[in-house]
Amino acid sequence: MSIFRSEEHVLNWTRANGHAVGAIVDLPQVWQLAKLWYADPRATTWRPRTRDESQAVIASAGLTGAFWELPK
Amino acid sequence: MDPVALRIFVYDEIVARGRPPALSDIAARFEITVPNARRALAELKIGKTILVDPQSGEIWMAGPFSAVETPYHVVSGSRTWWANCAWDMLGVVMIVNERTTIHTQCTDCAAPMTLTGDPSVRPNEKAVVHFLVPARRWYEDIGFT
Repeated sequence: MSIFRSEEHVLNWTRANGHAVGAIVDLPQVWQLAKLWYADPRATTWRPRTRDESQAVIASAGLTGAFWELPK
Repeated sequence: MDPVALRIFVYDEIVARGRPPALSDIAARFEITVPNARRALAELKIGKTILVDPQSGEIWMAGPFSAVETPYHVVSGSRTWWANCAWDMLGVVMIVNERTTIHTQCTDCAAPMTLTGDPSVRPNEKAVVHFLVPARRWYEDIGFT
């Protein structure tokens, strides 16, 4: 997941490097995803999430659709 | 060895020092041999959260932190951390739970970008993150992702 100044820069980079465009998400939404995704692993209660829990977190950040479907 | 104690030690070290502990640090902390420290790390089995270099056995990444320099540098006072990607740079902010400054650059044009990373305030800088591969392929090659 790479940062760009704008969507135009994503399009420049993908064209120049022969990649298809994936999903472009603005920084505040990625901040929301990170806030929901990252619990502190220094907590004794921390544990890895299940696949379905991770999918729910992604959806909670407003990211839905086929691109955001984790492997079954 | 208690895997919870090992995980907490790894992340305590990263948050305090900006880099993961070496196998020798783990061995000293838990009073075990380096080969046993290597085995304990390999057996942590916490998904893709802590990955080790297959050759050296040293920690390569402990998500969202990177053990090596990357384009995503998070700074708080005299402490600094490297993140694996643009998502992880904000993950670092959440885990250290402090207002930070993030130094990065546009992946296309390499223009420097300085962002405020605050765990309580959404950033308002104009920037976007590109997810190159769909979620179903995120864990096929974690380094590429």
